[in-house]
Amino acid sequence: MNRALPKKTLRDLRRRLPQVVAIGATVMLGVLLFVASYDSFRNVQASYDRTYVRTHFADVTVTGGDPDAMSAAVRHAVGVDRVATRTQVDRPTAIGATKLVGRVVGMPPPSGGDINEIDLVAGRLPDPARDDQVVVERHTADTFGISAGTPVQVFDGTQWHDVTVSGVGQSPEYLWPARNRQDVLGDPHTFAVLFAPESLARTLSGRAAPNQVLVEMTSTATQSDHDRVMGLLRSVGAVDIEDRADQPSNAALHESLHGLSGMAIGFPALFLTAAAIAEYVLITRLIHTERPIIGTLLALGARRGAVVRHYVWYGAVIAVVGALVGVLAGAAATSAYTTSYASLLALPDTVIEHRISTAVIGFVLGLAAGVFAGLVPAVAAARTAPAEAIRGDRVRPNRIGPLTRLSARWTLIPVTARMALRSLTRNRRRTAATMVGGVLALVLILSSAGMLTSVRAMLDVEFGSVQRQDATILVAPGANNVGAQLVAVPGVATVEPTTMARVTVAMNGHTYPTSLTGFEPATVMHSFRTPEGTARALPADGVLAGVALADKLGVRVGDNLTVVPAAGPASKIRLAGLVDEPLGTALYATNTIARSMTNAGPDGYLLRFHDDVDRDRVRAGATALTGVVAYNDTHAVEHQLDSYLVIFWVFAGAMLVLGGLLAFTVIYVTMTVNLAERTGELATLRAAGAPVRRLTTAFAIENLLATLLAVPMGLAAGIGAGWLFLRSFNNDLFNLHLSVGPTALVLAVAVVAAAGVSQLPAARLINRIDVARVVRERAQ
Amino acid sequence: MTSHLRGGVRLHGVSKTYGEGAAAVHALQEIELDVPAGKFAAVLGPSGSGKTTLLNIIGGIESADSGKIIVAGQDISGRRPRDLGAFRRAHVGFVFQFFNLISTLTAYENVQAVIELTGCRDRGRIPDLLAAVGLSDRGAHFPAQLSGGEQQRVAIARALATDPDLVLADEPAGALDVATGRRVLELLQQTSRSGCGVIMVTHNEAAAEVADHIVRMRDGAIVSEDRNAMPADASTIRW
Repeated sequence: MNRALPKKTLRDLRRRLPQVVAIGATVMLGVLLFVASYDSFRNVQASYDRTYVRTHFADVTVTGGDPDAMSAAVRHAVGVDRVATRTQVDRPTAIGATKLVGRVVGMPPPSGGDINEIDLVAGRLPDPARDDQVVVERHTADTFGISAGTPVQVFDGTQWHDVTVSGVGQSPEYLWPARNRQDVLGDPHTFAVLFAPESLARTLSGRAAPNQVLVEMTSTATQSDHDRVMGLLRSVGAVDIEDRADQPSNAALHESLHGLSGMAIGFPALFLTAAAIAEYVLITRLIHTERPIIGTLLALGARRGAVVRHYVWYGAVIAVVGALVGVLAGAAATSAYTTSYASLLALPDTVIEHRISTAVIGFVLGLAAGVFAGLVPAVAAARTAPAEAIRGDRVRPNRIGPLTRLSARWTLIPVTARMALRSLTRNRRRTAATMVGGVLALVLILSSAGMLTSVRAMLDVEFGSVQRQDATILVAPGANNVGAQLVAVPGVATVEPTTMARVTVAMNGHTYPTSLTGFEPATVMHSFRTPEGTARALPADGVLAGVALADKLGVRVGDNLTVVPAAGPASKIRLAGLVDEPLGTALYATNTIARSMTNAGPDGYLLRFHDDVDRDRVRAGATALTGVVAYNDTHAVEHQLDSYLVIFWVFAGAMLVLGGLLAFTVIYVTMTVNLAERTGELATLRAAGAPVRRLTTAFAIENLLATLLAVPMGLAAGIGAGWLFLRSFNNDLFNLHLSVGPTALVLAVAVVAAAGVSQLPAARLINRIDVARVVRERAQ
Repeated sequence: MTSHLRGGVRLHGVSKTYGEGAAAVHALQEIELDVPAGKFAAVLGPSGSGKTTLLNIIGGIESADSGKIIVAGQDISGRRPRDLGAFRRAHVGFVFQFFNLISTLTAYENVQAVIELTGCRDRGRIPDLLAAVGLSDRGAHFPAQLSGGEQQRVAIARALATDPDLVLADEPAGALDVATGRRVLELLQQTSRSGCGVIMVTHNEAAAEVADHIVRMRDGAIVSEDRNAMPADASTIRW
């Protein structure tokens, strides 16, 4: 390289190598995060899609009606690839001592060529010569420890049938084991999926003919083809039509991914912003030290554009290196993240692709952050008035600030401390730059830590104070005296009857499918929290609803809601109040009101256990009772929710680790830039005989005070950023409030501690100053 | 040889005031000055007399409040900063008391940097410029490896890099010892003798003796203006 200015850039950067490396690392982390989160996000989607294509996941599923007529109606329609019929019913099932709802699904023939094909992951397919073998779905097998040979009983409505598990399979319909759209997060012990040969499925269901039609569209089918098929199905009596988008497993996984899409963009943006600000601080302070030189060069006729380009180069060089490494590391992180996600959810197919477009966008974003960070101070440098810059600080007296005047009287305070105090106000821009480090660090950590603590708090509130039952039991219609028998089950402390029903709420032309739960008027199984944070009782008349319903339907307290039960006529009921619950948007009423609205009898019980009870024994005892058809353990539901949030935990955890690294880096940069800028001053003091220890102490006090001053701003900004990220995760399933609590203070202490640790390299730098060289340079 | 003489300066009624009201400082008051092309002028005066302000206004790095300023045949009165930048590139070189060299560049590269920043393509002149200031063998040295006098000579080479019509030097020997300062004055004298105008600000009477034209200032006004018929040889002066 023969040009002088690029040499200057490289040598200047080499002189500030620790800061340059640190800033390059922040750019690298931002780009890494963008590439990893964006490509992983798309990889996960592509993994689902690959499974869906390979297993011919149905685009449309119709239940009920005349499947043969519907099949014939759409078989030759444009855009239709495959059509199949099958039997699917939910039947009381027993696995060992556990009673639960078993879904019997007719299997495609072994020759393949059907829709919703299953992957056998263990054992073998049912023997065609036998009519008592089933394949059990993987989640069911995992929950109950089922393997080939395990016996299962299925009740067809009149009698129990014994079947044997021949193998374990995975289905595109149950990548997430959701029973239906409203029951995404149930106790896995309450629901099992059994794939049976079609003839056995009909036997177990007590049906003579299939009750479902599955339609797979071609890959080139258009939306209008799709709409036409839906129309054809309706024309032959299809009512219960389920699109792929509404398929419970697909919808649940899609919602989980969608909740993170905002974070997948927001966090990289935050990291790159932090990198840009740190870089801005570095280049600004560098330019500040070079003002006389810039003034001289401008006086000599240097073109302003050339000056701008020169300083923009600083940012660009750092950003290019950081972004390149970020792209490469991002590719590695993409593989790791996609693999771990696929592994945690046991996806049948894992697609790991590294997209050039993502790499290019990530690189450009990283470069843009660096260029922009350099551009602002570079333009300011080029606008420097030469005469003023050349005069520099040599003739400009430092303003005597109030702190300086005040501290002059504090003669009892050591001079080191007074120096530090005065330095804070002596150069406010420099102090502000140091404070920026603390603020950014807190924003980076709090935004990710806030997500984790808030979701953790959500789970604690939901399962600690809102849902206070240990188990929920569903009983068969007409079952007698179950409540009294449940009280006698060892370990059960309290039993309350409950009413559970699926309903649709209609208002203002909108509808919302949800659940209505009835409790005893003075229930101890559920607490109702108002949006103001106070507790309230169930209303004697009317219902309570989750706050999200107000937005969904545009309703207000006092309005009369139309509630449509699954069976029976719609009724009107007053909205007596809103409740602020972290999970779901449900309706609550007294049992009396709930039963009158749904025309149903008591269909369930809520249980509270004694402390330290063996939950499995209670489950076994309760499900052994006649009339008990399902048993939901609240702990198991909580565990299931944890599994559902796996992508969130992995992502937010990674953000916290990277955010912590970045925070420390930013603090280090701002602390040491402050030092680099004052090398001349410190060298002069050292030349005058000031002990290194005293200089180091003064410098550390100054930096730590600046960091402490930054803490309130950082906490406010960090909490604000966390709140914004959390908003992107809120929907009618999750109603999250930012909850950081003592974590904020712990993180503030950590940031100050990080600032303290950053003083160690700073102290080494002070110790290593080449006094002679610096003094000679500064004397020019 | 007259055709090679460059860098004449003519000021008419130039005034400059810093601040307002009671805090106003009248740095220059109705300055009238005429320095012929190719001459070496010295502006003498105590601190605060307005010397540096005068130099800055002639060089176009500060603007006057009023008056007419013609430098190297260009009327720069009231020009915009961007135009003044172009004017300096074409006509003016600066030497300051503090050298303001770039510490991470060698002597050669410091000169080269100015050439790059001004858009001048003629890098072939750098060895000649360094040779002219007696630093042919020090081109690869960084500022911290050079003496004060050597650093000032690099600054002079840097000022001459754009082949200016006029060199403006603000206390060029102010931070140097006698022998080194003398060497710097020699260089400026040589520059003037090559046809380039030189205006040097100094508070040193002896240093001013090397000039063809001596201007004395006090309180923002020119108090005397003398033609020095027998300028001293820079190598012989003492202070």
